Amino acid sequence: MDNGVASLVGLLRISKSYGGVRACHDVDLTVRAGEVHALLGENGAGKSTLMRVLSGDLTDYTGTITVDGEPVRFHGPADAQRAGIAMIHQELDLVPGLSVAENIFLGREPRTPFGTLDRRAMLRETGNLLRRTGIDLDPRRHVGELRTGEQQLVSVAKALSLDAKVLIMDEPTSALSSAEVDRMFAVIGELRRSGAGIVYISHRMDEIGRIADRATVLRNGSVVAEFDARDMTADQAAEAMIGRPMRAMFTTHENVTSGEILLEVKDLVVPRARSGRRDPAGISLTVRRGEIVGLAGLLGAGRTELLETLFGAGGRWQGSVVFKGRSTGRRKPRSAIRAGVVYMPEDRRISGLALGHSVLANTVLSVVDRIARLGVVSRRRETAETTRIVRDLSIKLASVRDPVSALSGGNQQKVVLGRMLLTEPELLLLDEPTRGVDVGAKAEIYQLLGQAAQRGMGVLLASSELAELVGVCDRVVVLRGGRDVAELRTSQAGEAEVLAAAMGEVVAL
Amino acid sequence: MTGTDFVRSRRESALATVFRFQSLFGLVAVFIAAIVFSPSRNGELLFLTSDNLFNVVRAVSEIGIIAVGMTFVILIGGIDLSVGAMLGLAAAGSAVLLVENDFGLVPAVLVVLAVGLGFGLLQGVASAVFGIQAFIVTLAGLQCARGLARIWSGGQGIAIPYGDGPGEAPVAFSLLGERTFNGLVPIPALIFVVVAALAILFLRGTAFSRHVYAIGGNEKAARLSGVPVKRVKIAVFGICGLLAALAGIIHAGQLNQGSPNDGLGYELDAIAAVVVGGTSLAGGRGSVVGTVAGALLLGVLNNILALNGVDTNVQLLIKGLVIVVAAGLQQLRPST
Repeated sequence: MDNGVASLVGLLRISKSYGGVRACHDVDLTVRAGEVHALLGENGAGKSTLMRVLSGDLTDYTGTITVDGEPVRFHGPADAQRAGIAMIHQELDLVPGLSVAENIFLGREPRTPFGTLDRRAMLRETGNLLRRTGIDLDPRRHVGELRTGEQQLVSVAKALSLDAKVLIMDEPTSALSSAEVDRMFAVIGELRRSGAGIVYISHRMDEIGRIADRATVLRNGSVVAEFDARDMTADQAAEAMIGRPMRAMFTTHENVTSGEILLEVKDLVVPRARSGRRDPAGISLTVRRGEIVGLAGLLGAGRTELLETLFGAGGRWQGSVVFKGRSTGRRKPRSAIRAGVVYMPEDRRISGLALGHSVLANTVLSVVDRIARLGVVSRRRETAETTRIVRDLSIKLASVRDPVSALSGGNQQKVVLGRMLLTEPELLLLDEPTRGVDVGAKAEIYQLLGQAAQRGMGVLLASSELAELVGVCDRVVVLRGGRDVAELRTSQAGEAEVLAAAMGEVVAL
Repeated sequence: MTGTDFVRSRRESALATVFRFQSLFGLVAVFIAAIVFSPSRNGELLFLTSDNLFNVVRAVSEIGIIAVGMTFVILIGGIDLSVGAMLGLAAAGSAVLLVENDFGLVPAVLVVLAVGLGFGLLQGVASAVFGIQAFIVTLAGLQCARGLARIWSGGQGIAIPYGDGPGEAPVAFSLLGERTFNGLVPIPALIFVVVAALAILFLRGTAFSRHVYAIGGNEKAARLSGVPVKRVKIAVFGICGLLAALAGIIHAGQLNQGSPNDGLGYELDAIAAVVVGGTSLAGGRGSVVGTVAGALLLGVLNNILALNGVDTNVQLLIKGLVIVVAAGLQQLRPST
């Protein structure tokens, strides 16, 4: 365990159960100074629980935590922070109504000699911090106005400002563009050189290979493998995580004869949330039955806005949208769903699910008035429908009456997908459907999308993951600045071409 | 049927059950305490006499009916501050229609209920369509309803005499102050029980109720799932206004008069009943069963304090403490 390098933090035989369900069992883990230790595992494998123990968030565990070789017991996150352990949560813990600077200094605001808030020092310090991390943001902007990716960078900056010895990062790059990922990795490199230890949780294998020194794999709450991250292959890691040989991640669904045109968008101009600007040229694209069309583009390219508009959940727009041969005007989500269009929003926690409500209530929500007779919902019918979805989508749960919040991220996402499929849709609009979802569930979601296409549905899939776009889609439409700039067949083009088009470089076709 | 294996939760412990039906357990606890502290006469516990028990239900029936409507509003994450004023408007309006305008019983009741429903729907439109916060809309609604009540009644309480002549209300209206079933069950208590039962059934199994809970749980997700959010919100405020008007009619019938100042502060008592009943002010979680238990709990508490001749100022103090303790206990609810 100690090969001469000082271990900053040690976890010894840590176990933690939630009411009979074992989340972690006898887990050992060390973090050494100057290393990036990747923590791998499917959702529900126990990574988040383990890290919540380490960051003082969960206090009723068994086992020992040592800091610099001394056993400690944290009674809350504040204790852990004092011991030099900071965590960047997957669910960002920022206050939307406060500015970037106010968020970073929340709870430890600088004071003037008169005891009042030293705004100037706060803005100056924040400015320095953001510059150091290469984040181009005005410290005075409200966090609520920022995109998810930008918020993620702010929470990284906040963690840095704590001068932590050990920094836990839970999927810090899930909403970042590749340029922003590079910047974050530069920051991590700097931290490592200064002697900090980093626990890095991610589902992106390419990132682990680039940044991590060691990797520990958890499965069902126990450590099942440890690797030197530099010689670990993605297949090895994936096999350890799911406990069986990896199937092909992307099930190529044959799309020999593409069907009739389902959706035709022409010169659609949408206001983009980020700039509020409209590009007069607009977006044009088509989706045929049985086809999966990808939407690529950097943050702010207009992917989310396009999907929201098509679903009737966006702002004002101009242009023409023809669905099933009929021109559609402004409409609401409710009428879109009736017409056969369903939408999976980017962030399931904010706009996808009522987390405290049961799996059943969330699953049948879109059809609850359709399966009701004279307004009364039959318990048997809704249970049967939910059970069918749980089975078809192999959602892992103890009971359909459990709250959705008890499910892992991948299974939560499947609940959203299940709710969509229950409406018997013809066009699926998906925004980052595999964000924060583990490999196993990812492959299953891809398979489900493939099946949907095979059954004649059209799929429009927005994603920041190039591998996903190229692996799953038949065609990829690349957006930049609110207009479509390229359309690539995935049989001919690869990730590099998609990225180049998204970034605005000359595309060699 | 196959697959029922994950229909029942295996993890629900005894403790979780206690928390789920917390308000019922609270009601039982307060009830037992009331028996213990009950004064007795001729060896009979005053609290446990059927007369007294029915009195408790009668005393909470107005607040209870309002609280049932309030439960709907709070479940969607809203609040309705106008219900007390609406009670005053309905009580005064009933008196004016019956006494001054010589309306028949049924037309008078229907007009007053329509006023309550319409007023609630308007507040719903202001909140759902124009996006004004429910707190502000209904705060304004409170002022408007009081103003309307004063204008309608000429600014003063109107006594309701009974008889067949002009200026007299139909005798049937006085039934609201009577008891039925051999003079045992007060009519208002009966109406409360019926309203509560209907609301419980309604919130259990209807598609509408699912929409109500979904909006309170996550309004954005509900909208994106095709829930007609605006329509449901408007309807919920309508229901709340309607029930407040019903409570106002009962109020006028029980007291044989209607005053524009009736129902002062009732909105807070109703909110207290809902909160003690375990419904979350954040929306999306709670039940009418809880609200009924909450209203009865506060009623039993009032009753036993009054039976013991506790000073009314001290009563207020104790009631306040009970509300805080009930809300505090809900924080202990195991979270997932």
